[in-house]
Amino acid sequence: MGFKGWLVSLSMQKPKQVFLVIFALVVLAGLQIPSIKVDTDPENMLPHDQVDRLFHDEVKKRFSLYDMIVVGVVNTEHEQGIYNPQTLQDLHKLSSAVQVMDGVIRQDLMALNTVDNISQSPDQPGTIRFEWMMKTAPTTQVDAEQIKASVENLPLLKNTLVSGDGQAAGIYIPIESKSESYRLSKEIQLVIDELNSVSPASGNAFYMAGLPVAEDTFGVEMFIQMAISAPLAGLMIFVLMWVFFRSMLLITAPMLVAMAAVIITMGLLIGQGYTVHIMSSMIPIFLMPIAVVDSVHILSEFSDRYKPGEKPQSALRAVVGHLFTPMLYTSITSAVGFASLAFTPIPPVQIFGLHVAFGILLAFALTVTLVPAYIVSLSPKRLAALKDHSLSEDADQSGKLGRLLSATGRFSIAKSKGLVVMFVAVSAVSIYGLTTIQINDNPVRWFKEDHRLRVADKVMNSHFSGTYDAFLVLDRTGLEDEKESLLAQLVMQAKQGEGSSIKTQLETLLASVQDDDGAWLQKLAFALDDLAYEDTANEMQWMALLETVEQAQTDSKYFLTPHALAYLDDLQRYLNESDLVGKSNSLVTLLKTVYRELQGGDSSQYKLPANSAAAAQTILSFQSSHRPDDLWHMVTPDYNSTALWLQLKSGDNQDMSQVIQLVDEYVANHPLPENVEMNWAGLTYINVVWQEQMVSGMLSSLTSAFFMVLVMMLVLFRSIKIGFLAMLPLTVTILFIYGVIGFVGKDYDMPIAVLSALTLGLSVDFAIHFLERCRAIYRDTGDWPATVDEVYKGPARAISRNAVVVAVGFTPLLFAPLVPYITVGFFLAMIMAVSAVVTVVLLPAVINGIKNKDQLFTVSAADVKEEKEHV
Amino acid sequence: MFKLIAKPALMVILAASTWSNPLLASDLTDANEIVANANLTSYYAANDGRSEARMLIKDAQGREQKRQFTILRRDRSDGGEQDFLVVFSRPADVRNTVFLVAKKPGSDDDRWLYLPGLDLVKRISAGDKRTSFVGSHYFYEDVSGRGIAEDNHQLKETTEQYYIVENQPVDPKSAEFSRYTAWINKSTFLPEKIEYFDEGGELYRRVEVLASELVQGHETVTKSRVSDLRSGGQTTLEFRFQAYDLGMEQAVFSERSLRKPPREWLRRSR
Repeated sequence: MGFKGWLVSLSMQKPKQVFLVIFALVVLAGLQIPSIKVDTDPENMLPHDQVDRLFHDEVKKRFSLYDMIVVGVVNTEHEQGIYNPQTLQDLHKLSSAVQVMDGVIRQDLMALNTVDNISQSPDQPGTIRFEWMMKTAPTTQVDAEQIKASVENLPLLKNTLVSGDGQAAGIYIPIESKSESYRLSKEIQLVIDELNSVSPASGNAFYMAGLPVAEDTFGVEMFIQMAISAPLAGLMIFVLMWVFFRSMLLITAPMLVAMAAVIITMGLLIGQGYTVHIMSSMIPIFLMPIAVVDSVHILSEFSDRYKPGEKPQSALRAVVGHLFTPMLYTSITSAVGFASLAFTPIPPVQIFGLHVAFGILLAFALTVTLVPAYIVSLSPKRLAALKDHSLSEDADQSGKLGRLLSATGRFSIAKSKGLVVMFVAVSAVSIYGLTTIQINDNPVRWFKEDHRLRVADKVMNSHFSGTYDAFLVLDRTGLEDEKESLLAQLVMQAKQGEGSSIKTQLETLLASVQDDDGAWLQKLAFALDDLAYEDTANEMQWMALLETVEQAQTDSKYFLTPHALAYLDDLQRYLNESDLVGKSNSLVTLLKTVYRELQGGDSSQYKLPANSAAAAQTILSFQSSHRPDDLWHMVTPDYNSTALWLQLKSGDNQDMSQVIQLVDEYVANHPLPENVEMNWAGLTYINVVWQEQMVSGMLSSLTSAFFMVLVMMLVLFRSIKIGFLAMLPLTVTILFIYGVIGFVGKDYDMPIAVLSALTLGLSVDFAIHFLERCRAIYRDTGDWPATVDEVYKGPARAISRNAVVVAVGFTPLLFAPLVPYITVGFFLAMIMAVSAVVTVVLLPAVINGIKNKDQLFTVSAADVKEEKEHV
Repeated sequence: MFKLIAKPALMVILAASTWSNPLLASDLTDANEIVANANLTSYYAANDGRSEARMLIKDAQGREQKRQFTILRRDRSDGGEQDFLVVFSRPADVRNTVFLVAKKPGSDDDRWLYLPGLDLVKRISAGDKRTSFVGSHYFYEDVSGRGIAEDNHQLKETTEQYYIVENQPVDPKSAEFSRYTAWINKSTFLPEKIEYFDEGGELYRRVEVLASELVQGHETVTKSRVSDLRSGGQTTLEFRFQAYDLGMEQAVFSERSLRKPPREWLRRSR
């Protein structure tokens, strides 16, 4: 009996100690749970050191970009839209109130009252004017319409701060940390409520959008969801088992196993310091149904074997001994399915997979210890009562389920050829469906369509150019080489002059400045200027060197040079022509606008300055405004890196991927200038990156899980044919499910991707039980039709019942307000149903087609002997 | 009415402060007088002057931008109208960009801009003077001086070294601050530190004199700094080659100087 015998004996001899140890573990784990940290940041789908994520973070820092909450004010009632005194006053109040909230990056907040208007002075012709766009809110319609005229004249603001149709205005609120956005959104809502109550007839509707709010709100709702769904799933299972078994006594043990498994697993996860992500929040719901199944098996068998009046020990030992191996294998295969998620490059999915795998193995361990301990602790009277609830699989032969299953058995044998052909056809069609799968995700879509965030998203994107950001970053490379050659040139130049004193002095100077990365040319120029003044004797030589340095300095500001700006301009124009891009803002937009105003404001002057100096001076003029630092969101102070800000109407990965493709095509036809590199950043892009990683990661996780399960089947059955047969139902199920997903057009998103590995681990259980019993019965009877008849009385019913328990256990997810939960709940229930049906219908049909059944089922004498021990 | 109440109140304050901080006989007690003196010291030294400025703009990440320009100034009347000519020399791509300002306390200044790269003379609408000076953390007003009549001044405290004056804008909508406090050196009348507070009473901006020296008998700032406490950026200005009473004529500050900067005044004297 070895280890399992020892384990069972221990549990039966020292039930109190078993209870105590498990109780202590539960308490220890339970103590970790209060320190739970929820994490819903999709960025965390990528490891912290993932290259795109590092670049994204670096770009955010480089251009002082922050995560943003976008508040929209929409007025469709007033004929001038938001351009009316009341709306603008409300906007002004709201924006002013938000500005001073904790956690808001005040100086970068963008709203009509915090941005500058660059325009021609109306009273002094030929005069350029920098002034606040709306320092105080207008009190007359004329003033309101004056603001309209100003906004529509500024391409940087039009369709960003106020929508093109004039019906919506935005407040872009940069925030210090994404985790503050839920709190901030609540505070902002208070101000909005106040405004609504003060002027209810204003016709204003306020909306809040932006990924940070979506993420943080999701986190909060997820937390609530966990607190509701998990207990609800527990309750469902409880009720279901009551329907099946009608015995509190019987149900208590599986419920204890499930609860202990859930608490210890979650405690372990939280105690290790992992954050609870969307997937890991579903761990309790995954574990509960899986955890009860094994104890139900033990209790069913025990009540069959136990004779009242006897000591329960011998019957228990026999039951556990007999079920140990199949239970171990089904647990391991399920665990392998989940653990294979560790092969995805997505940390939250890895953590989820590994912990569920642990939970399943833990549930198995608890089942073989806690359940025997529970049984021996029962009084003989209660044990007798247990016997009254007959749980024998064969007892209820006249029931509807029994009749249906017997009919199914006869059917699948009678029409075996047709069935096999049908399944092959279904699989073929499914493979076609699978190829039509749309890979797509969008964190905003994690909310149901009627959620206020989804509504806000829809409204804002219908008015504006788009609330989803992506940044196309162009970098000048090869700066080091240029520096080297300039240094060499300077030394050469110094040598050419007479006297070597200047050369030594220069070399000392060069050595002192060149460590300074960004500003070394500026420093060198200033130092040379000083030397020219101080060292009168060599003034001319110093001045010559200074001239060289200054020329290099001007040339080094790459994104002020005409050809760099022209490339950027063409690229931006090309992007703006596409429907996928709502709008783009860049250094070019800024330069053209300021240049136009400098030249008198006529639209024919909306063009780029003719040379680098003109561009530099245009920028210097812009810097005389209230918000000179807005420039640095578009270009770095050394002008060697620039960011093109794309506003997208859709945050769908699919749409972002198309934009990427669009840019790739452009660059293929219009190669980037020499020494220029282009990369993407922005949350919308990051979502695409992790999704791509997930798709490829899932493929390897699925493949590895498939082969591991196959190997286990070969080891378990010690038969190549049966091993492959065992893989058949799950293969058909996976193909079918993903085929359906392809056909109905459901996007392949994160939850769907994760399901593939789970399907594998869960649905193989049915095949294991079915084939194991088939083989055992065939060995007993030696007759195939009799085997089928027998199998449909017993194992088929257990399979159906388990499928129902697990499927129903997941149904509370269907009532969740968050879409990923619904997806997981729906598809898991479907997977259970399909794989159960496929197992009981397809397997006998296929076996029926195999001629030599003796060879299939009979292995060696040793195995026959072992089987007898098992059954 | 105000006087009747204020007088006994003032007496109390005087009496109280005698205890803690012996008031010197020479100390001024009128905030307006102190501010007027500070204004004259900071912006009206001698009749005219030149100064070369090096500006170092540093953002929150420590990235630097340097600029160099020469400021010429001529007073039309002490504490009254004056002219400024600011000529950029560095970086090279903005060389010879010129700002010309005719400052008119009490009314709108006249401002011109010349951009050599565009060969363009442009008038800049007076409007708001609290806009950035060429992308630095200084405002135009910090360079040319804020009209003393634009704020109400109140002497908050007199210490051994400073008059601490609190200032509130007469028209609160005219400025982005709700008040600012100036530490005015009692002997030189240089405002050595000015702190600006927002509507919530939070300190968000600081202007400091880091060094000053006596030039031709005038206490002259040689290094100052503005810190933007919200963004974490700061700008340092270093002034060199200062000289007063050069005898500049009014013609130096004419529109003609925009395209043809007056070389003789811009050149450094050795």
